[in-house]
Amino acid sequence: MSERHESVELVPDTTVVYVAVSVLLAALTAVLAQLSLPVPGIPVPFSLQPFGVFFAGLLLGPVWGGFTLLLYIVTGLAGAPVFSGGGAGVAYFLGPTGGFLVGFLLAAVVIGAVVHRGIEPRSLTAVSTVTQALALAVGIVVVYAVGVPWFAVVSDISLTAAATAMAPFFPPDVLKAVLTLGAVAGGVEAFDQVR
Amino acid sequence: MLSYEPGATVAHRLDPRSKIGFQIGFAVAAFTVSTLAGLAGVYAVGLGCLLAARLSPVRALRAYWFVLVFLGFGPLFGGLTLGPPWFRVDGALTSLRGVARIVPLLFVSAAFVHSTPVRDTRAAIQHTVPGKLGQLLGIGVALTFRFVPVVRTDVGRIREAISARGGDERTLRDRASRIARLSLVRSLQRAGRLSVALRARCLAYNPTLPALSLSGLDYLVFALSIGLVLVSVLV
Repeated sequence: MSERHESVELVPDTTVVYVAVSVLLAALTAVLAQLSLPVPGIPVPFSLQPFGVFFAGLLLGPVWGGFTLLLYIVTGLAGAPVFSGGGAGVAYFLGPTGGFLVGFLLAAVVIGAVVHRGIEPRSLTAVSTVTQALALAVGIVVVYAVGVPWFAVVSDISLTAAATAMAPFFPPDVLKAVLTLGAVAGGVEAFDQVR
Repeated sequence: MLSYEPGATVAHRLDPRSKIGFQIGFAVAAFTVSTLAGLAGVYAVGLGCLLAARLSPVRALRAYWFVLVFLGFGPLFGGLTLGPPWFRVDGALTSLRGVARIVPLLFVSAAFVHSTPVRDTRAAIQHTVPGKLGQLLGIGVALTFRFVPVVRTDVGRIREAISARGGDERTLRDRASRIARLSLVRSLQRAGRLSVALRARCLAYNPTLPALSLSGLDYLVFALSIGLVLVSVLV
């Protein structure tokens, strides 16, 4: 009789916690991406997707916030219908709105870097609201800085035409950033308990 | 909504790695094609992929309605001008030629989604992406896929509770803020329980993965992918 021995390399506890939070925030981003609130008289739907991006950057910092959005994107690329409108697959990523997905990932990294000023996330109670607001503002700029040129290139239109097409989505995104500041405060206690 | 459906088609039998490789090769071909004949060829290959997965083009297009809406924005805003004549047909046509390249990509992508279980793609990620990042990415994708329906139910319950308390009468700002805050708290509570469960089960970097093996057909698909890239770049 022969015996087989294999060594098991355990994932450190801290990493397990961040992976678990990343998974749930990626799933939340996926759910919110398919949820929009009707606004009477306005044709642009009020999508809740950016909340997931903002939460990831604010709570998890640049590395794990970016990992959260990477998880979200790769889950969609793998075939799970997690993108807006229940979309999935490489074509969605390479399509006209794919730049916004890349922008989301970069925004989560940038928001996390501005707020936490390092790789290790710190408690948001130690970060001023002004810093959080600044981080979200920079995050929105990053999303549009990637998303609009991508839309222009894929659609073969000028940058001005692409910016005009996307302009109606900008004010609601600013409002979402403002609402995030209040909403994330409610989650800080829950997050600190998880850690 | 398009997702994996079990089957015994040619596309179902292929290894996920060869299908991912083909999608990359096909995307390069679709984006570099410049002639009408080339575009027709790309459409033919795209439709062939749907046939290989036994998926109707209508179903594939319906699954990507959101992308199609934004694709429609291209010709519309490409033709608009800030002064007379207000709309230029040549600008719209240029954009239409650009967005036409995306539709066959939707076909190939739909065939992949329809014929590949997420578990196999997860294994492909962990086989392909090196190191601990690949392992964590694979574990994370599998868990995210499982938790999306759970979080969807949570968010649905939150919306129902808000609605039952007359929340639908509140302002948009108030509704959005409540849904976002409560969804975040509920998700973080779930994350706490998940991390305890993962630690209790000794989460490891080297889990048992589903076996993947490349067949002769997979090597043919790899060769086809490389051929597509070469033809599109050289011709």
